[in-house]
Amino acid sequence: MPQIPIIMPQLGESIAEANITGFLVKPGDTVEAGQDLIEVETNKASMTVTSPCGGRIEKFTAQLNESYAVGATLGRIETTQEEAARLGLDVPPPVRPGDTDRVTREGGNGSRSRVQPTVRGLPVPANAAGASYLSPRLKARMTELGLSAADLAGVAGSGAAGRVTVEDFEKFIAHLEKQKTSQASSMRVSVADAMRRSWTRPLAHVGLPVCLDPLFAFRKVARPKPGPALCALRALAVALAQNSAPAGRLVGNKIVHPSSIDIAFAVEAEEGVLVPVIRNADKRLLKDLIAPYNKLVELARGRKLPPDATGGSIATVTNFGTFGLEWATPIPLPEQTLVLGLGAARHAPSWDSVQGKFVPIMEANLTLSFDHRVIDGGAAGRLLQHVADLMSKPEEL
Amino acid sequence: MLQTVLEPGMAENTALFRERYLAACRFMLLARLLDDKFAALWRSGRIHGGVFLGRGQEALSAAAGVWLKKGDVFAPLIRDAAGRLAFGETVLDAARTYLGSALGPMHGRDGNVHRGKPKEGYLPMISHLGAMISVVNGILLARRFKNISGTVGLASIGDGATSTGAFHEALNQAAVERLPLVLVVANNHYAYSTPTSRQFACRDLADKAAGYGVAVDSVDGTDLNACLKTVGQAVARARAGRGPQMVVATLLRLCGHGEHDDAGYIDPKLKASPAGRDCLKVAEEHLLRQKWADAATLAVWRGEVIREIEEAVAQAQREPAPDPFAEEWRAIATERLSETHEEV
Amino acid sequence: MSITYLEAIREAQAHALRDDPRVFIYGQDVGAFGGAFKATKNLAVEFPGRVLDSPISEDAIIGLAVGAAIEGMRPIVEMQFADFSTVGFNQIINQAATLFWRTSVPCPVTVRLPFGGTSGSGPFHSQCMETVYAHYPGLIVLTPATVEDAYSMLLEAVAIDDPVIFCEHKLLYYHLKAESLPSEALPVGKARIAREGRDMTIVAYSAMVHEALEAAKELTPEGWEVEVVDLRSVKPIDTDTVMASVARTGRLLCVGEAWPWGGVTAEIIARVTSEGYGLLDAPPQRLNAKDTPVPYHPNLWAAHRPTARAIAATARKLLRL
Repeated sequence: MPQIPIIMPQLGESIAEANITGFLVKPGDTVEAGQDLIEVETNKASMTVTSPCGGRIEKFTAQLNESYAVGATLGRIETTQEEAARLGLDVPPPVRPGDTDRVTREGGNGSRSRVQPTVRGLPVPANAAGASYLSPRLKARMTELGLSAADLAGVAGSGAAGRVTVEDFEKFIAHLEKQKTSQASSMRVSVADAMRRSWTRPLAHVGLPVCLDPLFAFRKVARPKPGPALCALRALAVALAQNSAPAGRLVGNKIVHPSSIDIAFAVEAEEGVLVPVIRNADKRLLKDLIAPYNKLVELARGRKLPPDATGGSIATVTNFGTFGLEWATPIPLPEQTLVLGLGAARHAPSWDSVQGKFVPIMEANLTLSFDHRVIDGGAAGRLLQHVADLMSKPEEL
Repeated sequence: MLQTVLEPGMAENTALFRERYLAACRFMLLARLLDDKFAALWRSGRIHGGVFLGRGQEALSAAAGVWLKKGDVFAPLIRDAAGRLAFGETVLDAARTYLGSALGPMHGRDGNVHRGKPKEGYLPMISHLGAMISVVNGILLARRFKNISGTVGLASIGDGATSTGAFHEALNQAAVERLPLVLVVANNHYAYSTPTSRQFACRDLADKAAGYGVAVDSVDGTDLNACLKTVGQAVARARAGRGPQMVVATLLRLCGHGEHDDAGYIDPKLKASPAGRDCLKVAEEHLLRQKWADAATLAVWRGEVIREIEEAVAQAQREPAPDPFAEEWRAIATERLSETHEEV
Repeated sequence: MSITYLEAIREAQAHALRDDPRVFIYGQDVGAFGGAFKATKNLAVEFPGRVLDSPISEDAIIGLAVGAAIEGMRPIVEMQFADFSTVGFNQIINQAATLFWRTSVPCPVTVRLPFGGTSGSGPFHSQCMETVYAHYPGLIVLTPATVEDAYSMLLEAVAIDDPVIFCEHKLLYYHLKAESLPSEALPVGKARIAREGRDMTIVAYSAMVHEALEAAKELTPEGWEVEVVDLRSVKPIDTDTVMASVARTGRLLCVGEAWPWGGVTAEIIARVTSEGYGLLDAPPQRLNAKDTPVPYHPNLWAAHRPTARAIAATARKLLRL
């Protein structure tokens, strides 16, 4: 009686293996072709392995909670000759041609990779193909010209799997040189570098409208007057002091919590943005932050910030509302995971359920840009909501 | 190294023979005391690597050395301290090589018994036994090309080396080319720890000569008198163009294979036999008996030799060791073809 | 008038014997018979007493050559097949190759090795020995690929004061012809650009140079221009020329008839990767014979060593990376 192997199917593009989570039948059971036999889980989803033919489960060689590669044999089904013939399973698989059949070595680079994937579910082939592969020569040439991988976006690659070869690159540069160019300032270049490095992370954004009336009322009577951005900064500091995980860094499988709540704020200077830092913003009240904040703004605008006034912050607050913008998706600095944004205040109708009508309020969008590896939308939303709540009671900040 | 040649059949009671005997005896004493000095230096940790002595084989080796003249070729082996000195090597060069002086003939690149001066006909051995014989052949053949006649090449080997392919090929080659080669085989009964019963199956090593078409003489290697006569005749015959000559001497090594070896495997019966006699004692006793020298002379020799050795050793020890940073590290003469391997 | 690779070798020896009384030839069957391949045909007659038959004693042949060199001669020894030089291996690597370093006395010996495979020759008449000899310090190893180089490099080998292992490819002996012998030549130690190209560099030596040139021709209609470097000597290797070529093309394929472990191809790649890492647009590749002794049957032999077809196939993969 022919014995047909039960094979781990290719469960999705780039899946290399799956975990056995359950057996739906047992050895000795009679099954039909296409019947679900084994439950498996990949990093994406749960799926089932179905029977290749009708017959009797002879044995399972796979074990519960173990992982098996795509193509691995998980068990065997005993079936009749007719059933095997019907499904074309009675012909033995073609013998792999041996080395002596070939004059040349099979598989130059890439098709016989000797390196096994180390990250589950995401094979990382150690070969020289793929759109993001930069050869040593290409890297050397790019270094010579002061370019980075981001500068190659949009360059068509003619190499294996679409990689950009040196020839493609030289054609690209030659093409660029025919167009009008102007010199970028060094600040521009360093901001570009910071943004590029930051962008290697999956960034996402959430936002909600916040009513600014309590804030404006508070400002009328407060002496000195805190700006809206500083209020937002202090609110964020208080929120993070209660739960600092959203501002943590993900390194491997650990979240590194910040050691102090240092929050930066954006100041536009000529040709770029400076981000001075308020250190330990959670440990001082809003009224005590006003003077240091104003001093930092002054220094920033005058390009006289001391070196210890920047760097080492866990989040940035940016008031893009000053440009008249209602919405923006800022990018956190490479060492940060969060940017809190405040849009332009505008008159907006708000439903007052007590009065049963729309009443005018001053409203602005509060946005949070975050590293999606560290927190998800829900946590981001909760943090933003918390900040909004804190900003509605500015006298307590 | 003395200038004249023994005529075949020259009697031993001639002034020449006596002069040769006295010279050989002094070289034997020098070799023995120099070997003792090297052994002592080794035991006190001042010599790096192995020490290989020729104790017990001085008579045969000195006999070879005193019959060779300037312009001949000598390929000594491990136990030829006496022959090397007789051929003209200085005590200083021997000491320099053992003590690793940068000024020695090998400049620290090789050591202990692997020393020589090829351009002076004194070949530095390589460790592969038997390999030097064909090199001697080559020099002799080249002299034939250059129409230089009247020189001989003498190669020393032991019983063990007669088993090597190199010995076989080279002796055959010398015979085919009829070269003036003298092959002196010191059968000291052991190749390291291997007794001759495990080395060859022929009755006597001398029997091999017939297989190559080569003349052979056997001799008691402990008897300087006999060695001088036999080796002298072989050298004279070769020099006279009578083809390769082989001498097989019977003796015993009176030391370990190297100083690291205690030679515990040597059969005590052999040690007690005539082959186990100390050739130096035998030679000195003969000298005294023949009245060619008296005890006072021997004492004077001893004193001179000890002084010579101590001066040479002291000088060699004061000399600098090779400096790896000053070394050129190039193995070929043609500099432009030498590859440099720079580090990052 | 055309002259074969073998005839060029004979001419060079005749030239050396004529010009330098220190030269003589020693080896099996080299005398009246003129050598197994006729590389010394008539030389024993033309130069009486200077072309000598030896016994079958590779060890003693080499040892004798070293001794003669110490005495000031310039011996040329012929090993009947490179494969037999292993019997003289000890004298080559331990006597000849160490003499200068140990004693400062140069050793101007030339050892001629008929090497490389021909169909039907089998495991013991086909070997490439350049790898083992190149490995030992103190030796120069030459691998001429052309008739002209066979001539000029042998002359230079005799003139060099060091032991030279002169690897003559048997397949080229009778099949490779040239119009005439050169009066000038690239010196030993310099590689030759056998074919200029743009897209890839193939580094080869000896018979494989011709296979590489064939492969390059096959790739031209496909739009590829392949540069072929003929090393000429494998010890020393002209790393500068190789590096400059890779600087132009960015892709490297090394081809050798010897076996895969180590060898000239590995050596080239090691050097280019460590000294010219930033020149490579793709991983360097190599193609060698299969890792078995050289087979006898022509079907097996044809698959055992790199051929123009195989080189082109590998080149294509590398070009498309």
